Parts: sequence; structure tokens; C-alpha cells
Amino acid sequence: MNSFAQRFSSSGPIAQLAKARGTLADDDDDFSDAVWGSEAGFGNVAKGIPTFTVPSIPDPTSFLQLHTDDHADPSCRIKIQHGTTTLAFRFKGGVIVAVDSRATAGSYIASGTVKKVIEINPYLLGTMAGGAADCQYWETYLGMHCRLHELRNKERISVSAASKFLSNLVYSYKGMGLSMGTMICGWDKTGPAIFYVDSDGTRLKGDLFSVGSGSTFAYGVLDQGYHWDLTDAEAQELGRRSIYAAGHRDAFSGNTVNLYHVKENGWEFIGNYDVNALHYDGPGDVAGSPGHGYGYSVRTEGISSANPPTSSA
Amino acid sequence: MDYNGGSVIAMLGKDCVAIAADLRLGNQALGISADFQRVFPITDRIYLGLPGLATDVATLYERFRFRVNMYTIKEGREIEPETFAHLVSSTLYERRFGPYFVEPVMAGISRTPTGKIKPFIAATDLIGCLNFAKDFVVAGTASQKLYGVAEGLWEPDLEPEDLFETISQTMLNAVDRDAFSGWGAVVHVITKDKVVTRTLKGRMD
Amino acid sequence: MVSLAQQQPIQQSFNPYTENGGTILAVSGADFSVIAGDTRQSEGYNIQTRYAPKVFKLTDKAVLAVNGFAADGNMFVKKVKQRLEWYRHAHAKDMPIRSIARLIQTMLYARRFFPYYVYNILGGIEEDGTGAVYSFDPVGSYEREACRAAGAAQSLVQPFLDNQIYFKNQTPAPGTSFPQHLPLQTVLALVIDSFTGATERHIEVGDGLEMYVVLSRGSTALQSLQSIRGVQEITATNDGERVFVIRKELKKD
Repeated sequence: MNSFAQRFSSSGPIAQLAKARGTLADDDDDFSDAVWGSEAGFGNVAKGIPTFTVPSIPDPTSFLQLHTDDHADPSCRIKIQHGTTTLAFRFKGGVIVAVDSRATAGSYIASGTVKKVIEINPYLLGTMAGGAADCQYWETYLGMHCRLHELRNKERISVSAASKFLSNLVYSYKGMGLSMGTMICGWDKTGPAIFYVDSDGTRLKGDLFSVGSGSTFAYGVLDQGYHWDLTDAEAQELGRRSIYAAGHRDAFSGNTVNLYHVKENGWEFIGNYDVNALHYDGPGDVAGSPGHGYGYSVRTEGISSANPPTSSA
Repeated sequence: MDYNGGSVIAMLGKDCVAIAADLRLGNQALGISADFQRVFPITDRIYLGLPGLATDVATLYERFRFRVNMYTIKEGREIEPETFAHLVSSTLYERRFGPYFVEPVMAGISRTPTGKIKPFIAATDLIGCLNFAKDFVVAGTASQKLYGVAEGLWEPDLEPEDLFETISQTMLNAVDRDAFSGWGAVVHVITKDKVVTRTLKGRMD
Repeated sequence: MVSLAQQQPIQQSFNPYTENGGTILAVSGADFSVIAGDTRQSEGYNIQTRYAPKVFKLTDKAVLAVNGFAADGNMFVKKVKQRLEWYRHAHAKDMPIRSIARLIQTMLYARRFFPYYVYNILGGIEEDGTGAVYSFDPVGSYEREACRAAGAAQSLVQPFLDNQIYFKNQTPAPGTSFPQHLPLQTVLALVIDSFTGATERHIEVGDGLEMYVVLSRGSTALQSLQSIRGVQEITATNDGERVFVIRKELKKD
């Protein structure tokens, strides 16, 4: 056959070869050429959103619900860590972010040292409630895109834009079983900002949020002590005290408090406080410390009508 | 069993026994009280721990108190630990098909006819199946954790003070890995001539 | 007889998972790391085999322990090893352990909607020569820790380790403090105690114990290791990190 004609024939050997190459390439589609090089791991950023393996059954969503604990079904095999208290609030001195560090699987406390504040970049913090992996993975992924935004636009991404990127991203997976309730906190051109984003697709701007099983306890203390003109020390103490309250009363929260303060020049890690030490001894020699334990029984020890407290404060 | 939470452990020592329980009373995830006693003296030498549903803890304790009093009046003597264990067992089995949600743990010492000291521990499930152990018995929401720590820390023939240290460390470390137990603990060490009761400061989260 | 036309398609529920029991455990020291697992593999009350390794050497400074569903675990280890080999070909060096940890996260999360039913613990030596332990959940959330137990007997072993390794609920004698890192001999003794304890009280744990020890370059723990009977080196060179394995019998009942 004429070699020119052969090139365009659909049955000739060259076409067969091309077809075979096509099939082979399809088989190897799991990995792009990028994984061979230094892009291994997050190299999938080259292809945009990474592809996920989904079970080949008619309804993959129900499959996941069967095997993972969608909310609180204890009978399932794959336990995703739950139970949390996280909070963030805006005030004149920036944003306070405070979280506990407990992860539970059923009644078992799987970890007491979880980092529930995800340091997206030096100006943005994300909090973690719900699926630990969902939060860790997508907020890391968000960090990559914030950096790309910086490189493309020669300016930092706004908290609003960053949170909207995350919100749109999780919304595209709606109904697939992602579980996250997060606060994206930072300081941009508009000043301090907090956005609440969850896996249902909710995205809210606000001054004060608390998320997780212990959030009601945290809100109790937070609402009582919150106002815009708090000093830095007062605000930090309020965050710490609120998480302590949740750690104390909520079985699924506790162990330690991690406290962050977002200021104009980025976030600062204030400290890690053992909830038990806060109960008996207080936060120690730090800004805003009351100088004694937070525990009710500790504060009221020895006080009675016969022996009333010396000051009414 | 997870509704109110709580755990109990009893351990055997050399001529002594110890029983420890946490002090938390919860309503599911919400902690209600850090002063809930779930270990009760039955006689001077027998202590009974009742982890489980708090309403049944209170009811059962009263039932046992009644039955032990009746026994004491009829027999004209104090009940022996072994006998009390069977009383517990039969009381629970009466409710075989509508059980009390409680898994009793008991500890006591008795004197043999030859005058030797015989320490005793036992536990039952919620319908009264007795387990007489020669080392330790556990029950409650932290039972698995208690088994693990006790298996690592316990050794035979511990003296009262060492037994106290062993059971206290077992209790505190086990409940710190359990969401439904904790908030302090109480330990009773029973020897032939006295019972020493100590309240432990535990993690309050 | 039912006519074919009346028959409806019946949907079977798709259950590709089983739980194969066993427990894994890892502890890091100042310049070493111990990664251990029992070797029993079971399904329900049946023992499938008394020797199925759950701990695997990835590189000369990284060891991975997998627990949960054995088929998923073995496949996962295979895929991690493949990715590490590609990395070696591309960069002519072993992947650092913190990068392996991140790699494992992305590999697990890629299966977010069809998870590997596997709990992973990665142990080894960090680039700065310190011992490291990373633990993962089945869909890839991870954390660096000093010690971690996972699997069937995790709730038995972990509180014991909290007490003996982190000295939780203990107060040091006045004027003294607890050591930040424990010596290798102490760690190995605790690991053995943990597994004998778990074997006593958990039916899915037993048969054999495999303890991998990863030593950093020039680790002082080498001497105490060489005095242990039955220790076997599985690294070829002794100028870099070194990996040893110690095998022990556990009760088989």
C-alpha cells in the first residue's frame, strides 16, 4: 500500500499501533508523567482537581454511607474521627482562633494531640471540625491555590476569595459524604475576617462562630464575655476560657487548647494549654490570666455563707 | 451502658483487695456530676461497684441493701463475700428478660475457718453470670482500656500501698482514653483491719 | 414457576471489606524508632494464618505498619513501595520520611470515596536524625506523634503506653524530671509487655511478634540492640540508617 494512504488508513498496521498505544495509555491513566518527577504527591495540581477512585456500582454515595460513619452510626467499620470544639471571633485587635485537640472514635479517645488549626499560609488559618482528613486535605489544597493566586496576581488572596474557593470546591462534592465545618480566618485589605464554610455548601461571613459538638458550651462563655473593644489579652483569655468550658462539659472535646491570634501582619501562635491544668491551676503566667483555676469547684473552694468571698468581683 | 458512663475495677493483692471507680455522671456527651458515687459499702469488708445506667445503680443498691439486711437478720451474722456474689447473681437473673443495665464488680475479704485471710473479687454481667478472677475484674465504658493497663501493671501479691498505686494508675490512665468515664476517681483498699478510702484528682475533661 | 418476565433485578449490597484483626504499634526515641505488629491474621473467630506480616520496610529509614483489611493493606504497601521506587529513579535518593507521610496522605485521600480500609503507622528516622512516628486514619488525616497503637487492641495498649511512655498521671520525685526520650531497651520491653498483655485479653492478637528497629546514623542504641538474642539486620550497609528486626513468639491460644 502507498505509505501516504497507509498513514490515514484505519485498518493498517500504523493505525493498529496507534490504537494499541491509546489503550495502553488509558490503562496507565492513574498516573500522569508528572508523578515520575518531583511533582510526585501533589503533582496532580498540574491536572487541576485530582481524580478520585469511586466504586463501580450504580450508587457510589450509598456505598460510602454504608461503610463510613455518616454522622453517628457506630456499627460501621471505617471510623472517621469526630467530636470537636472550635471557635473564632473578630474584635478590634484581629481574630482569635481557639480549638481543642481531642479526636474520638466512638467512646475511645483516639488522640489528644490533634492540630485542629490548619496553617494554610502565614496569613490564613483554617479550623478543623468533622472529618479530619477532609479538612486537612482540602485546606492544604486551598493553601496551594492561595499561593498560585499570589503568583498570578502579585497580591495576597482575600479571606473572602479563599473561603469561596473552598466553599465552591466542597459544594462540587455535595452528597458524596464529605464532612467539614471550618472557619477560614485571616486579615486582608478589609481588615480581620472570618468565614464559616461547611460541606453542605454554607458560607457565612460573621464576627463570631463556634463549631463542633462542644460549640454550645463555648458559645455560652463566648457570648457572655464578647464585645468588639476587647484588649488582646482579654480576647485571648476569652478564647481559652471558652474552649476550656467545652472541654470540661463535653465528653468529645478536651485534652488541650490551641490558641492563635491573627493580626495585621499574619497569625501568631499564642500557646498550647492543658485543659486539666486550666481547671485546677489556670493558664499560668500569660496575658489575661485570672491567676487561678477555671474550675467551678476550684474557684468556690472553702466559700460558703459563713465564709463569703472577700470581693464581689 | 453509654448513657451515663462510668467504670469500675477491682484488684487482688496480698491479704488485701482494692476497688476503684470514676466519679463521672453524664447524660450522653454532657457531663452532669463529678461526684457520683458508684461504689457502695455492703458490709465493713465488702464493697460493691455498680457501673451502668444510673437509675438502675440507685435501685439496685437499695435492693441489695434490703436483701443483705434480711440475710443478716435471718442468719444472725454478716454475709460472706462469696455468698454476697451469689446474691448479686441471683438478683440480676430474676430480671433475665428485662435486665438492669448494670455490670456489678465486688471486692471483699473474709476469714477462713483456720483464721487465714482470704481476699475476694468478682464481677458479673448484666444478667448475673459470675466471674471469680484471681487477678482483677473490670466493668463499664472503659473496660477494654482497664484490661489493657491492668494487664501491664498488675502483679501478684502486692502489698496494700503498692496495690493502691497500681489500681489508681490503672484507673486514671484508662479513663483518660474513655470519653464517658473520668472526672475524678475514688479508691477503696480493704485490708483485714481497715478500709482506706482515697479520692483521686483526675482529668476534668 | 415464576416466569422470567416477572423477575426483577435484585441488587446485592456491595461489601468488599473484612476486618482481619491484629494490632500494630510504633514508638519513637531520640535517635531510633520501633515499629511492631503481631502476625496473626483472622476473620471472625477463625485464624487464617499465624504468620502474616503487617510491618514492612519501605526504605533504609522508613518502616510502614498496616492494620485493618489485609487485602487492602497489602495492596496499599505495594503501591507505596512502587511510588518510592519511582522517586528513587527520578532523584537518586530515598524519599525523606516526612515526604512519605504526605505521599501516604494523598494516596489514601485519592480513595476518599472508596477507602482503603487500613490504619497506617509510619515509623523511621527524620532527615535531622531524630526518631519519628506518623499515624494515619483510613482516608489520610495524619499527625506526627511519639507513640501510637492501632488495630484490634489499640484501646488496651494505648492507655498503658500513655502511662509508661508519656508518664501520664505520674509525678516525678521532687527535684527530678521524667526523661524526654526513653532508651531503646526500655522501649522494647514496653512493646513486648504491651503485646503479651493484648494477647492475654484479645482473641485477635497473638501467635508472633515482629519488632522493626530503625536506628539513625551512628545511634548509641546499637550496642543494646546487638546484645538481644535473635536480632537480625535487614539493611545492607552500616554507614547510614540501619534497620533491624526482632521476632518473638506470642501465645497461640
